[in-house]
Amino acid sequence: MSTSQPLSQEEETAPAQPAAPASPNAVDVENLDFYYGDYHALHGVNLQIPAHKVTAFIGPSGCGKSTLLRCFNRMNDLVPESHIKHGSIKVHGTDINGPNVDPIELRKRVGMVFQKSNPFPKSIYENVVYGLRIQGRNKRAELDEIVERSLRAAALWDEVKDRLHESGVGLSGGQQQRLCIARAIAVEPEIILMDEPCSALDPIATSKVEELIFDLKKSYTIIIVTHNMQQAGRCSDLTAFFYLGRLIEIDRTEKIFTNPTQKQTEDYITGRFG
Amino acid sequence: MPTDTLTSPAPDLENPFQYRRDAAHYGEKATLWLIRTGTYLVLLAAACIFLQIGIKGSETVFTTHWPFVNTAFFTEKPSTLYVFEWEGKKHELSDSEFRAFKAERHVEDIPAESYAHSAGGILPCIVGTVLLVAGSMTIALILGVASAIYLSEYARPSWRMRLIRLAIVNLAGVPSIVFGLFGAALFVVYFKWNISLLAGWFTLALMVLPVVITSSEEALKAVPQGFREASLALGATKWQTIRTNVLPYAVPGILTSSILGIARVAGETAPILFTAAYVVRDKYPWEVDRWVDFFFQPVQALPYHIYVVSSKIPQNAYTERMQYGTAFVFLAIVLLISLGSVLLRIRLRNKLKW
Amino acid sequence: MIAIIVLGLITFFLFREGAEFFPQNLQNLRLYRKAGLEYVGLMREQTAAHATLNRSLQDLRVRQIMAMLKAGKTQEEAQAALAEFDTYATQFDAAVGDLRSLVSDLTDEVTAIKEKAKIHDDALEQREFLLKEGKKTEADAVKTATVDFKAELAPVLATFPAYTAAVATLKQNLEVVLEKPLTLPVHEYQPRYKHFQNAVRAYLKTFPETEEKLKNWRADAPVPWWRSLTSFLFGTEWITNSFWQDWYGILPLLAGSLLVSIIALLIAVPLGVCAAVYVSELAQPAEAKFIKPYLEFISAIPSVVLGFFGIAVLGEHIRQLTQWHALSWISAFPIAERLNAFTAGALLALMAIPTIFSLSEDALNSIPRHFKEASYALGATRLQTILRVLVPASLSGIVSAVLLGFGRVIGETMVVLLCAGNRIAIPDFTEGIGTVFQPVHTMTGIVAQELGEVANGTLHYRALFMVGLFLFFLALFINWLAQTVVRKYKISIG
Repeated sequence: MSTSQPLSQEEETAPAQPAAPASPNAVDVENLDFYYGDYHALHGVNLQIPAHKVTAFIGPSGCGKSTLLRCFNRMNDLVPESHIKHGSIKVHGTDINGPNVDPIELRKRVGMVFQKSNPFPKSIYENVVYGLRIQGRNKRAELDEIVERSLRAAALWDEVKDRLHESGVGLSGGQQQRLCIARAIAVEPEIILMDEPCSALDPIATSKVEELIFDLKKSYTIIIVTHNMQQAGRCSDLTAFFYLGRLIEIDRTEKIFTNPTQKQTEDYITGRFG
Repeated sequence: MPTDTLTSPAPDLENPFQYRRDAAHYGEKATLWLIRTGTYLVLLAAACIFLQIGIKGSETVFTTHWPFVNTAFFTEKPSTLYVFEWEGKKHELSDSEFRAFKAERHVEDIPAESYAHSAGGILPCIVGTVLLVAGSMTIALILGVASAIYLSEYARPSWRMRLIRLAIVNLAGVPSIVFGLFGAALFVVYFKWNISLLAGWFTLALMVLPVVITSSEEALKAVPQGFREASLALGATKWQTIRTNVLPYAVPGILTSSILGIARVAGETAPILFTAAYVVRDKYPWEVDRWVDFFFQPVQALPYHIYVVSSKIPQNAYTERMQYGTAFVFLAIVLLISLGSVLLRIRLRNKLKW
Repeated sequence: MIAIIVLGLITFFLFREGAEFFPQNLQNLRLYRKAGLEYVGLMREQTAAHATLNRSLQDLRVRQIMAMLKAGKTQEEAQAALAEFDTYATQFDAAVGDLRSLVSDLTDEVTAIKEKAKIHDDALEQREFLLKEGKKTEADAVKTATVDFKAELAPVLATFPAYTAAVATLKQNLEVVLEKPLTLPVHEYQPRYKHFQNAVRAYLKTFPETEEKLKNWRADAPVPWWRSLTSFLFGTEWITNSFWQDWYGILPLLAGSLLVSIIALLIAVPLGVCAAVYVSELAQPAEAKFIKPYLEFISAIPSVVLGFFGIAVLGEHIRQLTQWHALSWISAFPIAERLNAFTAGALLALMAIPTIFSLSEDALNSIPRHFKEASYALGATRLQTILRVLVPASLSGIVSAVLLGFGRVIGETMVVLLCAGNRIAIPDFTEGIGTVFQPVHTMTGIVAQELGEVANGTLHYRALFMVGLFLFFLALFINWLAQTVVRKYKISIG
């Protein structure tokens, strides 16, 4: 009954179809040029993100890492006058900017957690089931079960199980952010995008969210944008470094942090700029 | 399930994100279109009004020959229309013309049908409206700016301030007819000003006061704090600072927003019904014996004139000309004022950057 | 500062002019009783009820003729077929004869008493005025005698046996009429006749009660002071300049105002909120740039111009629309009156839409962007985001916008004065959709219409100020409600 099931079948059957080349990667970015109006935000980005791994995007402010992240579920559609000039983005082998792609369907499978925690002004319960309700799934028993599973997965269940019907806005910052993660995983996406999920949290809340990311890796592909180098080091498998709208380097996290190929990467990591 | 997909692969199997063309999808489309239709329905309804009044009104206001504008309509008083037949020809003449016509032909009386308010022009109404607007805006600006200065520069937040603000907000919600009643009770009856220009001024001024106070206060608040501090640091007193360094910069903002108030003053009928307006005056406002009388005379006004010609006199084809003409002129004036306000506001926003 | 003073002044002066209303109205009500108008009024009600029944009989006749003409009969044939019905109707009409002439005599008598009392009061006033001016001799010259109500009223009360006799005849006559079987020439209307018979029976049942009331009626029974207030707030009639008795009950006006406002809001709220949602969420930027100033223009249209448009164009168009054949299945169509609550409501809706639009749009725009993003990121469509996140989050803002729109509509004068039809009566709410097409009068309309025509200081004049005062407090209440909603909303969003 999960939404991911039909997709995995397609991945299995995909090799039989020559028209759709199999891709082991969750996301393939080819030669992407992205503009906000006249402003050239991303320059020829090429990137492969493997499934069931945590990939971190690092780089100084304004380097385009959030922009790229928001391309993956077409959130940039909401920004007027933004557009992709060249290149393509494929999610599980499908060009998500193709003519027959419904961004709504895409977003159901590519979830997102934002920099600032943004629970709806509704109860905790209603926050978690929002994504299900909009898909027309309203069966009480099913919802109850998913709420518990999602909140457990987000390590929030024990803290809120007695006040599920109180407002989600009343939680602390860290709890709110975990609630947002629970809300994102309730619809069982394949990929979760996290846009600096810990930047507004204190260290204790941050470590809780980081633990959570580590656990979630088993079931989801996670792409996380972060300013915090230690965080990238602690919880990611791969790290990509961006600078001025270009992808400078992507590699295993240990390699990036210990022995980067590019001089700019090394400068950034050792704290010489940014 | 897997066998299913293998035996008969869906055409878009490789695309998990394809559009779902189900009932919900079309329901959404329909609803969004409904919302759009609703919005444009409102615009359409308003367009109907503008067009109807615009087209019918321009028949009265403009003419097909030089100078293309019906000058009589703008330069004469309203008068009675006489329709009669004379030597087989049908004539439509206004009061004075009719008398001249009779005198010319040396006849005592010609049987004619008369239609009140259907001939002549609307000059006294235009003059009256202009006088009402000018006077009441002057009063409202003096009172409004003074209290705005007090509110934004002198007053300290306290329960009294909260009460004042509450009063301003509530004042803005009071129906205009209540202002009319109040004006009648205070100025007309208690001060014994009778139905007069002065009573109308004060009634209208009090009505727009909340608009003026709020907008002036905003304009004053928009002046950067640094201006005041710089002036105070040079040893200026508070009043000197306000006079030389705050007010001048706030004036454009105050005036711009006040134009909105002008549109409201010009457009309202209810407050002047029993404070300032008369159906007919046979003298122009400046034709007074003593200068004091100027303030204590009633006037004619455009909105009141529309009310009179559209409901107080018998309707027929001849009055329609007057009705639409007046409505057209009035609507045009009010819309031009508010257009001016919108344009000025945009210009101000672009120009003033501290 | 000035605002408070003005607000205080408004309250004070409205009170000053209005407060006198209560003692004056009380006097009015007391005189109604003392002069015996109330006594005769009971009887008048009885004859009036008979007249209503009679009218329904006439109505039935007209309908039958119409039906027969439609069925292809000539006028003469139809008249002939109704011969039996006509004798019946004449009999019914004649049954009340005795009572009617008695009531008419008594009416003359009691109005004469009232007139005397009034003349006496005027004379007293004049004398006082002269005394104040210091003209003692003139004051003494004003001669007047107090009205001895008891003596004056005695002959009126003495007619009670005559009344019982008249009622007895009426009862007898009606019973005879009732028992007569009557078959209508048009059979579909037979149930209506049954209905009429039942109404007559119910009417007969009220007789003992009326008689009881008359018997127990005392001219010197005191009228409590609060009757003055309740007769204003709950009075169902607003009758002025009547030879009989003036009533100042605000209910018909309030009902008219509310009916018009509700119609206006029913139209304006969906459209205004639609437009707000459309402009803030769906429209292209260029579209929004065009729509917003356009709506601002609409709000600048002076109300008198809208009212004029209603009289000159809209009213007639609506009536023609209801005469359209395709709509004839709606029972209320075609409508009779060009100017009615709906015409006024539709125009008021146009005035309320800009208010509701701009405040709702502010509320929608004040929702933090990240709510919207979170919803989209979960795969919600635009409509789902609007309905499930944006509208609930801005609901209190929208509600307060609607309230302020309501305040604007109920306080609007010129449109209702020109277009609402100005018939002073509580709308007949039993007519279903036809209710909204009835002409009504409103609180604002009555003030604007009548204040210019009454003399300062009269009861009528004060009553109009009371209406104004009522309107003033209603507006304050609506404002307060809107502010409360907004305050709550600010807290809930954090």
